[in-house]
Amino acid sequence: MEYLAIVFSPWALLTIFIGAFAGVAIGGMPGLTATMAVGLLVPFTYTMDPAMGLMLLGGIYAGAMYGGSIPAILLNTPGTPAAVATAIEGYPMSRAGRAPLALKTSVIASFAGGTFSVFILLLFAPFLARQALAFGPAETFLLALMGLAGIISIADEKSSLLKALIAGVLGMIIAIIGTDDMSGSLRYTMGLVELYDGIDFMPALIGLFSMIQMLELAGQKSHQIDTSALKKKQKGEKLPRGIGKYMGLGAGTGTLIGILPGEGATIAAFISYNLSKRISKTKELFGKGNPEGIAAAEAGNNGCVGGSLVPTITLGIPGNSVAAALMGAFIIHGMIPGPDLFTEYADRTYPFIISLFVANGVFLAVGLFFAPYLARIALVPPAIMVPVVAAFAVLGSYALNNSVFDIYLMIAFALGGLVLKKLGYSLEALILGLILGPIAEGGFSQGMIIGKGSPWIFFDSNIAKVMWVIILALLVPPLYSYWKHVHKAGKAAG
Amino acid sequence: MQKKWADRALLAVFILMAVLLYRSTADYPGIAQSTSAKYVRFLAVFIAVLCLAQLGFGLVRDHGRDILVLTGNRRRFLALLLGLGLFAIAFEPLGFYLSGAIFIPAIGWILGYRRPLVLGLTTAGVLGFVYAVFVQLLSVRLPGIEIF
Repeated sequence: MEYLAIVFSPWALLTIFIGAFAGVAIGGMPGLTATMAVGLLVPFTYTMDPAMGLMLLGGIYAGAMYGGSIPAILLNTPGTPAAVATAIEGYPMSRAGRAPLALKTSVIASFAGGTFSVFILLLFAPFLARQALAFGPAETFLLALMGLAGIISIADEKSSLLKALIAGVLGMIIAIIGTDDMSGSLRYTMGLVELYDGIDFMPALIGLFSMIQMLELAGQKSHQIDTSALKKKQKGEKLPRGIGKYMGLGAGTGTLIGILPGEGATIAAFISYNLSKRISKTKELFGKGNPEGIAAAEAGNNGCVGGSLVPTITLGIPGNSVAAALMGAFIIHGMIPGPDLFTEYADRTYPFIISLFVANGVFLAVGLFFAPYLARIALVPPAIMVPVVAAFAVLGSYALNNSVFDIYLMIAFALGGLVLKKLGYSLEALILGLILGPIAEGGFSQGMIIGKGSPWIFFDSNIAKVMWVIILALLVPPLYSYWKHVHKAGKAAG
Repeated sequence: MQKKWADRALLAVFILMAVLLYRSTADYPGIAQSTSAKYVRFLAVFIAVLCLAQLGFGLVRDHGRDILVLTGNRRRFLALLLGLGLFAIAFEPLGFYLSGAIFIPAIGWILGYRRPLVLGLTTAGVLGFVYAVFVQLLSVRLPGIEIF
């Protein structure tokens, strides 16, 4: 009750409303993503009340995940990568004068997926966090390895498995810069005082996920959006019967995929979309404007919201890049992921989780009543958006440590990250490596001390054995499919 | 430059970095030799093996002639980069408001937006928002000359 009172206080409700509304608006702007919005705002929540700050960011996360579908449906321009599958079905519907049904399906499915996943988060997170109490340094190291195993699943047709792994290890190598916790000596700081505490996570995140997008937008040859569907006469329709099945499918799939480290909302949306195509009785309508596809894809990407937070706040392993940014917010408020979040910091963590339900309700209302108007946000020219977001990126990088050096760091990450991205390396893997690096090193080093130099400590306990099984289970299927893919490509070539 | 050559050059740099990283662990003091140094050596060996494997795969399979294109419009891309650098340099001596008041409209103009009124209103809106929300409401401290 006490947590409900925190969430339903006027200030908290206003904060959640602002967060969710801003999230929908940000998600509705092509080029701006939830990671970018959350990453940019994390430093500014430093001075806020921690619970309020987290509620604001949670609202943005939930809202942005939905917001991407609005321009996807009305303008064939997905606001976020996770809304690409929605555009495949939504835009043909808009062109056929069925935009209201597409928008209604999208917002209700997003609400269903989001709410279900937050419910799962509320149910399982405290239990999982309690298990973390039994973790020693060896298990912590294995936990980091589990997160890294997620890197393999990040690999797709754009970033090969090897390149995803290289990016992940590169992130871990960048994370060793700074003071060595074991000996207190300095490592690879090049005499720069600013690097004594290591590379700060936030400038890296802002550079890799916000500034890169602005550099890409600035360099785009043209920015043309088809607005014909906005001008077309649209008819109102009821939700088709049986659509709930596809929402349920997407919600379950999205939540499960969100829980797996490294898997993001885009993958969740596409997998949910493909599954819905498989079980649909109207397969022939897919690609021509089928609301079933929208329902599955949107429930899938919003299902990721709660799912991705399960490993993030219980084990400190972010489910995706937005969750990584949110984890940064927890850490700057002194809330280290794990069991303490549900005991010592319960008065912040539970209100944050409950606020996600409210945020889902806010975007449901916003979507039902204002979606067609919000589509116009996508028409903001890049020439206006780029300098504004760039200014916030600079401000956000500076604000956390009041350090100009962090601005330079952000720019360096953006430029370096752009080269890596263009060559097919996964930036998600890089950031995951950057986060998991210190966890892995701490667990490894302490484990080696306890084990008196013997690596057997990492196989000793029952938890460790179970974790090795999970790591193998995470690694084998993608490695097998990668091997099959390479084998097939080799056969085709020769 | 062709993508495949850029990729090979990058992998070569990573391999060189791995070698240097491995060698540097010899200088780790005391207890770090049996802990951190082992971890860093593991990372160095791991990335070197991965890079060699990728290099090998690339040499055997990658016969593409795609060119590495970082941007579709070099002038705007470099202008934004230069603008960011100047913004960062001016951030402390001029303060956020003054440097922001130059950066936002200048970059907007360079990117091809030609409506001074909209640029001016956007700049004023952003700076006003930062002042009201971040400085007043969230007590974020911003550097340099304050114009508010």
